[in-house]
Amino acid sequence: MIEVVLNDRLGKKVRVKCNDDDTIGDLKKLVAAQTGTRADKIRIQKWYTVYKDHITLKDYEIHDELIEFSSIGMVIVVYVGGHGV
Amino acid sequence: MANRTDPAAKSIRGTNPQNLVEKIVRSKIYQNTYWKEQCFGLTAETLVDKAMELDHIGGTYGGNRKPTPFMCLVMKMLQIQPEKDIVVEFIKNDDYKYVRVLGAFYLRLTGIDSDIYRYLEPLYNDYRKVRRKSPDGNFMLTHVDEVIDELLTRDYSCDIALPRIKKRWTLESLGVLDARKSVLEDDFEEEEEKDEMEQDGLEEEVAHEKDYYRARSPARERERDWRRDSHRHRDRDYDRDRDYDRERGRGRDRERDRDRDRDRDRDRYRLREEKEYGYERERDREREGRERDRRDRERGRRRSRSRSRSRERKRHGRSSMSPRRHEAEDGNAPEESKKKGKKEKKEKKEKKDDGTDHPDPEIAEANRIRASLGLKPLKL
Repeated sequence: MIEVVLNDRLGKKVRVKCNDDDTIGDLKKLVAAQTGTRADKIRIQKWYTVYKDHITLKDYEIHDELIEFSSIGMVIVVYVGGHGV
Repeated sequence: MANRTDPAAKSIRGTNPQNLVEKIVRSKIYQNTYWKEQCFGLTAETLVDKAMELDHIGGTYGGNRKPTPFMCLVMKMLQIQPEKDIVVEFIKNDDYKYVRVLGAFYLRLTGIDSDIYRYLEPLYNDYRKVRRKSPDGNFMLTHVDEVIDELLTRDYSCDIALPRIKKRWTLESLGVLDARKSVLEDDFEEEEEKDEMEQDGLEEEVAHEKDYYRARSPARERERDWRRDSHRHRDRDYDRDRDYDRERGRGRDRERDRDRDRDRDRDRYRLREEKEYGYERERDREREGRERDRRDRERGRRRSRSRSRSRERKRHGRSSMSPRRHEAEDGNAPEESKKKGKKEKKEKKEKKDDGTDHPDPEIAEANRIRASLGLKPLKL
């Protein structure tokens, strides 16, 4: 079980517990359950690399990290690794 | 500029008609190639030509949320605001079903409530197939009446938020509309009689039903048996089955509606469809339904005993998914899948139990959310 923190640049901060074999699509559903946006409106990306829905977190090597994301209207964008944007 | 609304157009619901589509989706449409190439300088007549070329409906799809041509044409209609007569013509035309759906969608966005009900309800009788692009880019099968139902009952469709309309009974009580008269009232009455007799017991019903519906196709009978069983099993297992059905496009309500709307031709057509999807599954589900009944009774008796729970857990630990799946493939298909179905259900139920009663409340809560989304519980 890993805990991923997604940080919206507009003030939304969400801590999500998930398995490392969950797909990005599952993570979006969990984020949607917590933030109230629709899951298909969420985009998760790392520094302009958009994460695809069918790939697992383990394959993307997302571990217990602090993730920053920003939302443009209804799109939540995740920057993984906090490299500073 | 190409994206500005016609200055002579009226404002809808107090705002620029193009604002009915949300900002982000709107920007996506403006940047879309189809919009820029095909939808430039369209008038009502040329729009009809474009609409006739449509071959699927849908919202935005793909990672980039690319809009479908259907959405671009809806946007164009909002921009040029054709007259109500033209829209009604779109809806009334029988030859091109996508033009019909386009007209219905536009009317749903811009029309007044009574008009919406008046013009869209006759379309419930149109049961032609419609191709729908799902958000991940694949095509799904749906039907015109399903789309109309979505327009009339939901408030979000094809990535456009549909404006709120009054409920039908409100308009009926105001006297603006008549009570809804379904074209298939006789079938409704038959269904009601059958439902009343359900309380009398299974065997009686089976005998009675066999007499009553002798003329119906066997597929329909089987479905009715299945539906009858599912009425009875309102427990968690049933919810799972229902979701599974909905995934395959056959929710219980939809099944019932679709049954009512079909005539003989369609029956034959559906038999062909069902053969593709494997109607053995329905047979299994019937049997599983009766199995479940028996099993629930057993489980109810044992639930309070902790010893039995540990016994169940041991069984859960020993059993595994893959060997049984191989078993189910070879050998006797109905029997094996029946056994497999029983064990699978027991396993799934236990897994759910294990997940959501974790001592740590946060983890239990997370597992509850995951279960409601259909995900496996957290691995700790």
